[in-house]
Amino acid sequence: MGPMASETIEVHGHIVDSLILARVLDAILEAGADYELVDVAIGKTNTDTSRASIVVRADDQALLDALIDDLQVHGANRVAQTEAVLVDADQDGVLPAGFHSTTNLDTEVLLDGRWHRVQNPEMDCGLVVDDAGGTIRVRTVPMHRIRRGDRVVVGHDGVRVHPPTRRTAAGGFEFMASEVSSEKPKGLLIRHVADRMRAARDEGGRILLVAGPAAIHTGAGPDLARLVREGWIDCLFTGNGFATHDIESNVLGTSLGIGVADGAPVEGGHANHVRVINEVRRHGSIAAAVEAGWLTGGVMHACVEADVPFVLAGSVRDDGPLPDTVTDVAAAADAMREHVPDVRVALMLATTLHAIATGNILPAAVETFCVDINQAVATKLADRGSHQAVGIVTDVGVFVRAVVGELCG
Amino acid sequence: MRVTRLDWGYRFLLCEPRHFGVLYEINPWMHGSVEVDLDAAHDQWEGLRDALRAAGAQVEAIDQPEHVPDLVFTANAGLVDAARRRFVPSHFRHPERVPETQVFAGWFADRGWDVVRLPAEVVHEGAGDALPFGGVLVSGYRPRSDAAAAPLLTELLGAPVRTVELVDDRLYHLDLTFCPLDDRRAMCAPLGWDAAGRRMIEELVPEPLWLEDDEALAFCANSVVVGDVVHMPACPPRVGRQLEAWGFHVVVCPVDEFLKAGGGCRCLTFALDVTFAG
Repeated sequence: MGPMASETIEVHGHIVDSLILARVLDAILEAGADYELVDVAIGKTNTDTSRASIVVRADDQALLDALIDDLQVHGANRVAQTEAVLVDADQDGVLPAGFHSTTNLDTEVLLDGRWHRVQNPEMDCGLVVDDAGGTIRVRTVPMHRIRRGDRVVVGHDGVRVHPPTRRTAAGGFEFMASEVSSEKPKGLLIRHVADRMRAARDEGGRILLVAGPAAIHTGAGPDLARLVREGWIDCLFTGNGFATHDIESNVLGTSLGIGVADGAPVEGGHANHVRVINEVRRHGSIAAAVEAGWLTGGVMHACVEADVPFVLAGSVRDDGPLPDTVTDVAAAADAMREHVPDVRVALMLATTLHAIATGNILPAAVETFCVDINQAVATKLADRGSHQAVGIVTDVGVFVRAVVGELCG
Repeated sequence: MRVTRLDWGYRFLLCEPRHFGVLYEINPWMHGSVEVDLDAAHDQWEGLRDALRAAGAQVEAIDQPEHVPDLVFTANAGLVDAARRRFVPSHFRHPERVPETQVFAGWFADRGWDVVRLPAEVVHEGAGDALPFGGVLVSGYRPRSDAAAAPLLTELLGAPVRTVELVDDRLYHLDLTFCPLDDRRAMCAPLGWDAAGRRMIEELVPEPLWLEDDEALAFCANSVVVGDVVHMPACPPRVGRQLEAWGFHVVVCPVDEFLKAGGGCRCLTFALDVTFAG
């Protein structure tokens, strides 16, 4: 994998005779960075000056910034950057034509001669600039939340994007260096996931769980509930199905009518999930069902008890739905966005729909692990722009049990 | 090998020390606690002025207003292209010396020079950091001048500029490390330069007189050459013998009072006859 941050600098003058060009190139290599000479014009007569444009690449932005500051002493300067162009939105819910469409990468915008970091990187949004109180703030805003008069960045001038730093696990094991594969030794991957969860918690970051109904079918429910109870999950994104089957398995012992413990079909079980939804609706909410003592176990129960927020995003094929399910999908995505700040690690278990929906709103800096028995899910997530996602092809029940083994002893 | 004396160094601008003193500390030699003996400073300055005249140089003087104690170091006035009577005033690194720019610019403008300024954000401390040799202007950078000034000086003066990084705080101006003697020789203090700078000077100067570190720190390179006379703040025997072997006469001009502010003979003079025509 190549270096990750780059910037173009220019040196000008008698740079060949003064050995300045050589000096600058040496300094770049000494700093562990790399360069490409993109344009060199050597002066012909004694008084003609020479000029060289150099693309400098480094592993991370901090290293690059320090290097370029140092190179400035030798007369190398960043190639002049043009400021971002702003246009006022003239209609609610509509971005101005030519709006800068975001990526999920760390992004900066040049305004008033300074680079301003975008607060909440999210892909496929607009960039809105506020300068209330004299401080410039730049944030991503999805188009449906644009309001008339919002100042929106248009075009590519004055916008720069920093690809994520390569993460290297202890011992030089380059975790992101390989593709999704079912052939990888799982023990190492699972230990790595556990390490990242520990690191996130130690550093005050939050851990997001995104799960599909198959997580319950594979028997991962009790282990997931334990992770929630023991404080390893700070937020849950899922849908009507997962919550329904979790509640069904705890109240009736079945998941979609099949006994979770013995795998045997239960008579009349095909309607169990609908009956469960009906009862939760009678209580008014999952929390109310827990309070009434009707729901006494499982992941949803653990979330209510541990005050772990959850968002149930609805879909057109949902039964019921549960009263907690948000049926307006734009509202559901907005509800999920509320919980994204400070998320450091995202675990996506056995879900295509929710994994992609979550991937759409997560900054690329969030360490994302996508676990599914089907390799296509992780690939699909990456294809839709969540390149940071690491795919782990395995049975979710087995995976969660192993993670619990690592974290909960 | 035929050697030709320098074609410049016969006309200087000096500033009589009326308000000189170590009033602030902007280099490692300056200490606010050190008292300058103004009478002694004045005598030393007159000694240097008279020696330059005796060697055949013309001397002009600029008056020193009260608020600019370092104006005596006229080497930092700026840079000239005498053929076009063009003057590029210095832009100083330290705010303490910034007011000098206006004083020098005014003096040159009053005498009909074409005064051209560097962009405001570019710092360059004039002849203190840039000396002609071998058809190019050698310019020091980092402590007091920006490397970015080099292409601008080429534009303003028509001189090819070769830059050298100054890496020793004590040798904060080029003229403490480099002294052109004639068209083939110069006193050179490698102590002050980075590796690339040393290589550049090696390529540029056919017969360098390499100064030992203690010779450099005695400000040997901060000397004023008028034809075959070298005016030095101090002259260690080894350096003196080499200069005499090359046919130079050494005149030691004590300037101790000015060394208290980090400046020697060269710093007290500004050559008005440097040109890059042709």
